[in-house]
Amino acid sequence: MDYRERWELKEYQSEQRLGRRANLLHATIIVVLTGFLGMFWYLQIVKGVDYELLAENNRLRRITMPPTRGVVFDRHDAILASTRPALNLVLVREGLQDADAQMKRLESVLGIPYQGMKDRLTAMHRRPTFEPLVIKEDVQLADIAKVEARREWFPSVEVEETALRDYPDGPAVAHAVGYVGEVNESQLAKIADGSIQQGDIVGKSGIERQYDEVLRGRRGWKLVTVNSLGRPFGTSQPGRIPEDGRPLKLTIDKTLQRTLVEALADEVGSGIFMDPRTGAVLALASTPGYDPNVFTAPVSHTTWMSLVNDPRRPLNDRAISSFYAPGSTFKVLMTIAGLESGAITPSSTVACSGSVVVYGRPFLCWKKGGHGVVGVHGALVHSCNVFYYLLGKRMGIDTISKYAKMFNIGETTGIDIPGETRGNPPSAEWKERTRKEPWYPGDTISVSIGQGLLAVTPVQMATMISAVANGGSLVRPHLARDADVAPVKLPVSAGTLAVIRDALADVVEEGTATRAQLGPIRVAGKTGTAQVFKKSAGVDADKLSKDERDHAWFVGYAPAENPEIAFAIVVEHGGHGGTTAAPVARKVLEAFFADRLPPKPTPDATPAAGQLQARLGSRPEAAGAAPTPAR
Amino acid sequence: MLRRRLLDRLDVPTIVAALGLALVGMLAIASATAEQPGRASLWQTQLVWLAIASTVALVVMTVDYHIWAEFALGLHAAGVALLVAVLLFGKAVGGNRSWLDVGPVAFQPSEFVKWTTCLATAAFLSKRVHNRVRLVQGLQLVAIIGTPMALIAKQPDMGTALTFVPIFLGAMLLGGIQWRWVLGAAVVVALLTPVGWGHLKPYQRERILTVANPDRDPSGVGYQVRQSKIAVGSGRVTGKGLFKGTQNRLNFLPAQHTDFVLAVIAEELGFIGAAGVLVLLYYVLYRGLVAARSSQDRLGTYLSLLVVCWFTGQTAINIGMVVGLMPTIGVPLPFVSYGGTALIAVMCGVALIANVRGHRFVN
Repeated sequence: MDYRERWELKEYQSEQRLGRRANLLHATIIVVLTGFLGMFWYLQIVKGVDYELLAENNRLRRITMPPTRGVVFDRHDAILASTRPALNLVLVREGLQDADAQMKRLESVLGIPYQGMKDRLTAMHRRPTFEPLVIKEDVQLADIAKVEARREWFPSVEVEETALRDYPDGPAVAHAVGYVGEVNESQLAKIADGSIQQGDIVGKSGIERQYDEVLRGRRGWKLVTVNSLGRPFGTSQPGRIPEDGRPLKLTIDKTLQRTLVEALADEVGSGIFMDPRTGAVLALASTPGYDPNVFTAPVSHTTWMSLVNDPRRPLNDRAISSFYAPGSTFKVLMTIAGLESGAITPSSTVACSGSVVVYGRPFLCWKKGGHGVVGVHGALVHSCNVFYYLLGKRMGIDTISKYAKMFNIGETTGIDIPGETRGNPPSAEWKERTRKEPWYPGDTISVSIGQGLLAVTPVQMATMISAVANGGSLVRPHLARDADVAPVKLPVSAGTLAVIRDALADVVEEGTATRAQLGPIRVAGKTGTAQVFKKSAGVDADKLSKDERDHAWFVGYAPAENPEIAFAIVVEHGGHGGTTAAPVARKVLEAFFADRLPPKPTPDATPAAGQLQARLGSRPEAAGAAPTPAR
Repeated sequence: MLRRRLLDRLDVPTIVAALGLALVGMLAIASATAEQPGRASLWQTQLVWLAIASTVALVVMTVDYHIWAEFALGLHAAGVALLVAVLLFGKAVGGNRSWLDVGPVAFQPSEFVKWTTCLATAAFLSKRVHNRVRLVQGLQLVAIIGTPMALIAKQPDMGTALTFVPIFLGAMLLGGIQWRWVLGAAVVVALLTPVGWGHLKPYQRERILTVANPDRDPSGVGYQVRQSKIAVGSGRVTGKGLFKGTQNRLNFLPAQHTDFVLAVIAEELGFIGAAGVLVLLYYVLYRGLVAARSSQDRLGTYLSLLVVCWFTGQTAINIGMVVGLMPTIGVPLPFVSYGGTALIAVMCGVALIANVRGHRFVN
């Protein structure tokens, strides 16, 4: 092989090699492109439906439209709770840039802590980005102006419209109406029908909670096509229109409600006023109260803890959930039981010497010298303990228990506010069951004057006294206008009730509750004192420190002849019922009967003032006469 | 007689396939930019670019490729000089300094250099004495292809730089490198990968990791890949209809008229549209292979095959990105993506193939 032949052979070989490698390139191209074809097949045909769904989810945003919560009206259509528009300052998370810088500026301009915002922003990272971070709820216009003035500092801060629950009377309606708040985990678990979801506003207490389903309504939604920045694009598809909550009309009278709260003033206590014929509650208050408006925006931890840890427990609705010994107010029931069971007759008498020995133990009457010979009427009017010690001994606990139960003492009344308690019924069976102790005969004697193991709620006493007022029918107290049920006629004779009502009118006329007198309108009632500590027995209330004083009761109704309103009032550590609880009742009754009472005198003398003063002079407290300390 | 010669010399099927791809691209660009403020008429701009590109390509096609090869080194040197100029005076767009302002239009020298690289490499391979790539030839190829690649990487336009890798690999393979060298190089690359990983920027690493696990960061780097796959997949068999792609028009799809234009086609025209584009692309590449085989000399063969390598690499990188098999790298799909310089470059590339094909009977 010469040089040329070798060269030609090499040329031929390299030619062959180039051809092979071109074929290799071709093969590579076919493999790569077939691979891509397979990938498109996989994405578009095998997984096409899945990706179609993902594309739809990208495109369509389900925007929740919250319903407007129903308005709560009082009996005269005055608004107790409604929904008002409010503005939130939000940080838009869609396309958010320089979040830290913006939040730091917010801290310096509005004083919102940076770390808190940052933590909440981090906590939201799994939420869809079209949900903004709420920086500040219910923001004031001044704050918005501060942000708007520095618009270029806050490219992602926007103002969002929202709706907040509004209680125009604030603390005055707190315990009657309750408050709302964001639904919590346990409520979500309880209402599993999907009607509520995270973030929904639900009733948390009071009427708001009891009638939440009526008031809440049903949230709606719409589907909106959005672009990648979350901005709406084109038209939205109809989803479901929100169903607004229905309005709720209450039996509450806003004027009476306000008057009651003002009358209770700084005292710790509660009062409930209702129509004795129907059980319609006209006013229900518990003090100290709280402002339900603070719960509408998420409550700060400190606000919440200060309410929970307040030793006076403002969140408690004392009218339905606190129970106290009824004291002498229980003598009303004792008298009914005595007359009905035949243990006494209207003409029975007892000689009171100031004390009596029963079962080998001395029991004191509150009046040191004794009442002398007292009949049924006198015993109730002057609250003679000795009379009732002996009556209790004669009847025995089972008879007392039977009548207490009949009048709902120690039973829930069924009022339409959540959280009602039973108290402790005067029952040997109850003591044995719950205390694991036998009933001692001496227990009966204590119970006979409303002390000892017995404990009742104000609403129970209001129901009991309503039955006396309405001629012997047990009503169910209620706040919603449509929640009344037919009263249950009790097997109590008219004669018995006449004796009681006669005496109760005289209690106000000449007995322990003269401070409840109301001029031309006759008030009937019974005061009571619930012993808090043993040491308070027989000691003047004025000589005790406030915390050691007894709880003061006043239950009653008016007008005495044809009752339209019945009530129960407790002032904790109020001492004598007649001194502290009776004036509260009088103030509310004054408002209730305002159009039937002569006009009130004004301090600065108008031409008619002197004349009015003279006319009202017969009322001891109006004339400034010192009241007689009495029970 | 003359008419037959002309028809024979004009590689009609290749030209039709290339123009067809460009027209499909035009539709996709029109749809992709319809909702983008200030960009709605971009498809018209692209039409103008197509006209310019066709004119330039006509010149490239008509002048005998042997003559182009004569000037190959000079053209390539000019291209490299432009790349240096870009680094010195270029305009930065999106962090990459890859544009030169020439009068009213911006010009991307890196696209032009892809073409000169193929030309210069083919000229080099066809003129050598020994038809085997060993150390010296290997270094010479590194000089020809690696120089522009390094300059582009410096811009830093990693995507475009990456498109030189298939050209280089093709040159080595077609130049006759022995398989044992390939094997050795593969081992070295495998060993150096961890070192290279350390030199990558954090965002580049993220992009590579995201390919392995698209759910790694669905809101950040994974977002584009994910949205592209959603666009492709949701197109299903027949697509949502031209101009009706939600991923495209609502802007979920990133860079939908440039790098992700195939995702728009797949979304709006479905598997049929995507497969159609793949078939057309394959056909252009196939025509390159045909031209190479029928070429009367090595220069024509090398020229066609290197252009095929260039197109193949760029296509693979782009589609790999669209279907989520490659990291997100800004590389246009030949003929289809928006971009004037890129269109001129690929049209000139296809013109070289047609040129080779057209001169198969000459002499």
